[in-house]
Amino acid sequence: MNINRPCGTFDRNYFQSKELYRTPLRKALLALFIILMYVVPLLVGDYEISILTLICAFTIGMLGLQIITGYCGQISIGHAAFMGIGMYTVAIFQAHFGLSFWVCLPFAGLVPMFIGMLFGVPALRMKGLYLAFATLAAHFVIVYVISNWRSVTNGTDGMWMKRPGPLLGIDFTQDRNYYFLVLTITIIMTYLATNLARTKLGRAFVAVRDNDIAAEVMGINIAYTKIMAFGIGCFFAGISGAVGGAYYEYVNVEWFGLDDSIWYLGFLVVGGFGSIFGAIAGATVWKVMDEFSTLVTPLTESLLGGVAFYASAAFSLIFYSLIIIVFLVFEPRGIAHRWEIVKRSYRLHPFPY
Amino acid sequence: MEETIKSVVLGLCSGGIYALLAVSYVVIYKSTRVFPFSQAAVLIIGAYIMWYCLIPWHLPIWLGFIITCIGGVILGTIVERAFMRPLVGQPILAPIVVTLCLMLFFRGIGILMGKGDIQGFGESFLPVGAWKVGFLHLPKIQVYGFILCAVLIAALMLFYEKTRTGLGMRVVHEDHVVAQNLGINVKRIFQYSWIISCVIAVVAGMLLGNIQGVGLALDANGLIAIAAVLFGGLESFAGAIIAGLAIGILQMLTITYIAPLLPGETTMMIPFVFLLLILFIKPYGLLGLVRIERL
Repeated sequence: MNINRPCGTFDRNYFQSKELYRTPLRKALLALFIILMYVVPLLVGDYEISILTLICAFTIGMLGLQIITGYCGQISIGHAAFMGIGMYTVAIFQAHFGLSFWVCLPFAGLVPMFIGMLFGVPALRMKGLYLAFATLAAHFVIVYVISNWRSVTNGTDGMWMKRPGPLLGIDFTQDRNYYFLVLTITIIMTYLATNLARTKLGRAFVAVRDNDIAAEVMGINIAYTKIMAFGIGCFFAGISGAVGGAYYEYVNVEWFGLDDSIWYLGFLVVGGFGSIFGAIAGATVWKVMDEFSTLVTPLTESLLGGVAFYASAAFSLIFYSLIIIVFLVFEPRGIAHRWEIVKRSYRLHPFPY
Repeated sequence: MEETIKSVVLGLCSGGIYALLAVSYVVIYKSTRVFPFSQAAVLIIGAYIMWYCLIPWHLPIWLGFIITCIGGVILGTIVERAFMRPLVGQPILAPIVVTLCLMLFFRGIGILMGKGDIQGFGESFLPVGAWKVGFLHLPKIQVYGFILCAVLIAALMLFYEKTRTGLGMRVVHEDHVVAQNLGINVKRIFQYSWIISCVIAVVAGMLLGNIQGVGLALDANGLIAIAAVLFGGLESFAGAIIAGLAIGILQMLTITYIAPLLPGETTMMIPFVFLLLILFIKPYGLLGLVRIERL
């Protein structure tokens, strides 16, 4: 399944073929990485923990977009809106039915999945850009409904959310403990996404992306496959929104503009299409850039004469879009591809190839 | 009944700009097969260039118009040469993500140009006032805008029909490889398409800025025009014009009949609900091509 493996390495039996990790070294490195992710928050301050939490939350959403766009080749420009549905699902269930976060979490995935499929069904029957149009429309309809259905969503004022209650004696109102929860959910979702790519459905996604007519000839139901990809992607987006919204304990309709959907797509490109690593790299770069741009903003403001309150908005728009465009023009396969090249050159060290 | 006729006529007038915008999408889509989402934000740039010419620099209107058009030409050239040409032959996703990012890039430039505020033209550069025809009040801005749009579209159609370059562009619309084999410079045609589209979008932005005020909210009109493009069929000029007018009428009818019933910005939402309905009922649009593919 993994096309990036070195030349001459084959699976000799089904056990090898099923393995997630080809070599013990990889397994050890992954375990080390996960342990490191759990240990780091004990060593750093609150600011770093907030960045890490956001990276984890957005990684989940990015994995969803990776399934839609990277694996199945459909373009969604309403991903942030589905993330917003996830947030609002939790907020509404908590505010109106008094349910706990743990009960709401599955619904935060399932409701966007259902709504996404509803919007996706007409578009995904056809080949081409239609999902982009449908999700663009979905974005505006969703934002309209959320900002105007005041009795349920409290309009543009936003809603309060509660963090999950204590579990096994761990108090999640503390940021550090909440980070552990988000990290755990992220690891579970990453594991699910990794395995999804290896199932029949996941292979069907890739087949549809690469050549849909050939896929149809091989007996794949294209419309069903695309709709499943979109639904699963929206499920991930919803979970990501629920986790991210609960971190702030507040949701607002302004948090998922069209910009955010486009950044999702753009930083997926920066990370790299069609690999789990690409999604994680994309989310990480995005959130690190976010912090970078908030750090740089005072500088630009002083450059533009102190009173330039608009400069930060303009700066982040121009800066991000240029990063994504430069990446697309010079490295269209993203960081994941660059990483593969680095690994290969390490493996073949004395020789160029 | 009177209300209905009034909204239909007014909608027709404001629909001219949507038709123009829809054409600006179709020009690029037909020749390069890339849907240029960025055109929604080119509007903002056009409106701001015109605003700079008229208000801070006190230039006459005709000069402002010419400078804005030249700005559109330069913008189209730069976008095509710097961002789109390196992506020819890449998977379709890459150029589309670039156009989406360009949309936000132009928004950012727009914020810098407008210093974060909504600006007005002071007094409109088109005649103000209204004609009274029976029970109808026709605002002169809208009517002149409609006429300008119609003239531009007619000029574009004449260009496609009568000139040699236009003929080449029509060949490129059919097939890139065939056009290349016939000795047509396909890259040059792509460049022309972007330039034409940017000029159209810039002019539309100027007209819209005159009506709605020069600000970042202008790109909503560009996004609504996407619904028109889809309704008309992605590959059809005639469809784009009809659908643009239809979207204009739909919006006016929305203001008359639906807006009193629902809260909030219904004019922004209804065209997109319409878009979803089109996807359900007639996904290839009014006059779009239904592509049949074989292995």
